[in-house]
Amino acid sequence: MATNTESIDLYSEIVEGTKDVFSTMLMIDLQEGEPVLNEEINSNLSSILGLGGDIKGMLGVHCPEKTAKKITGELLGMEIESLDEDVNDAIGEIANMIAGNLKISFEKIGINTLLAIPTTVTGESYKTSRQQQAYCLTVPFSFSDNDLWIELKYIVINS
Amino acid sequence: MGKNVLLVDDSSTMRKIIGRSLRQAGIDFDNIFEASDGLEALAVLESEKVDIVLSDINMPNMDGISFLREKANRPGIKNIPVLMISTETGDDIIGEAKSLGAVGAIKKPFTPDKVEEVLGPLL
Repeated sequence: MATNTESIDLYSEIVEGTKDVFSTMLMIDLQEGEPVLNEEINSNLSSILGLGGDIKGMLGVHCPEKTAKKITGELLGMEIESLDEDVNDAIGEIANMIAGNLKISFEKIGINTLLAIPTTVTGESYKTSRQQQAYCLTVPFSFSDNDLWIELKYIVINS
Repeated sequence: MGKNVLLVDDSSTMRKIIGRSLRQAGIDFDNIFEASDGLEALAVLESEKVDIVLSDINMPNMDGISFLREKANRPGIKNIPVLMISTETGDDIIGEAKSLGAVGAIKKPFTPDKVEEVLGPLL
């Protein structure tokens, strides 16, 4: 049975879930920032993962090329030269694990979430859109002069 | 004679991370086979000697639950143990995996210590 998502602090859940992934898998201590507007995202790689079940929406990991290569290099233990399939796959897996932690957060308030398989896009000028009534939260993170953003958009469809 | 493991995950990055975690945990396999979904995993199990499988749940083509169900119907491979490694940790889906023969589960993200703690006793 789904309940009102206002009973959960999604900012804190995203911060904790994202920092958990980076500290456990990458030994990186992320610094979180205050929520930002979508227009402030400065990325050219995004891994998007669809959310289903009691909600309908998406979780996105957005980052510039430099950050994407740094994360992938740390995960694979090698130097990354360009935005290749390894980078797409690695950032997709980061999105998958953050979404997994968020799924547990939603379960605390009785919301069952289904996770799709992530899709990664690259480019210079694109943006994600949302349904007008969708809840939207974008949290910036940084580490060692690298930036990334975690974006959550959803509507509750089964409450 | 050493043991062989099969890593099943649609993410090549995650397969590499799991392989590295096994080495960091001091768990030595003679051969590490890889598959990107349940269908590929079944083909490997039918053609290679595998002692244990580490499998994701959410995968394209054939997911981890369907893989367990199909494997259970094949006499030659049904007794090979499968440990789930997934972002899916709900009691319902892990319960279903265990009812289909999974011997345990590790939540992503994970550390090499966690892999050793769960996998070690199974070897």
